[in-house]
Amino acid sequence: MRTAAHRNRVASTGNDIVALIATDKERTSRSRFYSRILSAEEQTLYRQQWSPEELPFDHYVWLMWSIKESVYKYSSRIDREPVFSPLKIPVHRLDPPSGDEFYKGITGYGPGTLYSRSIIRDGAIVTAVSGDEDFEDTRWGFTVIGSSNYADQSMAVRTLALNELQAVFPRRGLRIEKACSGFPVLLEGKTPLDIPLSLAHHDRYVAYSFRLPSNSSSYKKSAAN
Amino acid sequence: MDRRAILDELKKVLSPYTENKELLESIDDKTNLVKDLKINSANLVDIIIDAEAKYNIEIDFDSAEKIVTVGNCIDAIAEKIK
Repeated sequence: MRTAAHRNRVASTGNDIVALIATDKERTSRSRFYSRILSAEEQTLYRQQWSPEELPFDHYVWLMWSIKESVYKYSSRIDREPVFSPLKIPVHRLDPPSGDEFYKGITGYGPGTLYSRSIIRDGAIVTAVSGDEDFEDTRWGFTVIGSSNYADQSMAVRTLALNELQAVFPRRGLRIEKACSGFPVLLEGKTPLDIPLSLAHHDRYVAYSFRLPSNSSSYKKSAAN
Repeated sequence: MDRRAILDELKKVLSPYTENKELLESIDDKTNLVKDLKINSANLVDIIIDAEAKYNIEIDFDSAEKIVTVGNCIDAIAEKIK
């Protein structure tokens, strides 16, 4: 069994994006729907901590979904557990933006603690998770594209991620392939690199996250999230 | 209702959530909803709720979390309508 320390030491990354225009506000607000995503504790957390003006309930549901999906991606890379069960990924805490635009969460999967950062901007909810509370070595971002076609999303998200990777990891011949496990893998030529990468797309939005090795001095640190 | 009949009805449930209508016509038990049909994971809850409404059943959380493939979907529905 993996320990909490092990989980946080292993470099991984996970992200998700939700296009709010592609969600059904009325359906999301039905108990039958949101009770498959939010635990009783997470429903109570909303009632105690948030007002609809501050964070509409349907946005809260999808924000929590994006955190849980990101945790699932992060953890799957380590544990190879292919089952995504939102109710088994608890979000213990979700703080509103304070001095920045990030909703910051504390979450977990099994015994491990992970930290989430989310933004709600331009009609999308975007989340990345990290084992490092400060996100020191995690880069993430998103963009809006002109198509919601799967092939276009797939190409656009790879282009976006490679452009951002080039900014902090200037090498020739970087490319992304999908591994047999389903994860995207970053390669330099034919050599897989130890830089975990996560990609997400929904409707006309694409997003990436990746984590650079924390002990490397060869990366440019100029690219901020 | 046998698995073939459930599969035919399931195609109608899945249709709004996949672009690939050609593949949808040829799906079988092994077809992965996300990897093969390219259904966005954000729609998985929609699919469960639509299936529940179509068959007037309730798919419990444990069954729902096992739904990865078309075969898993059929299993969950068949279990409730038998």
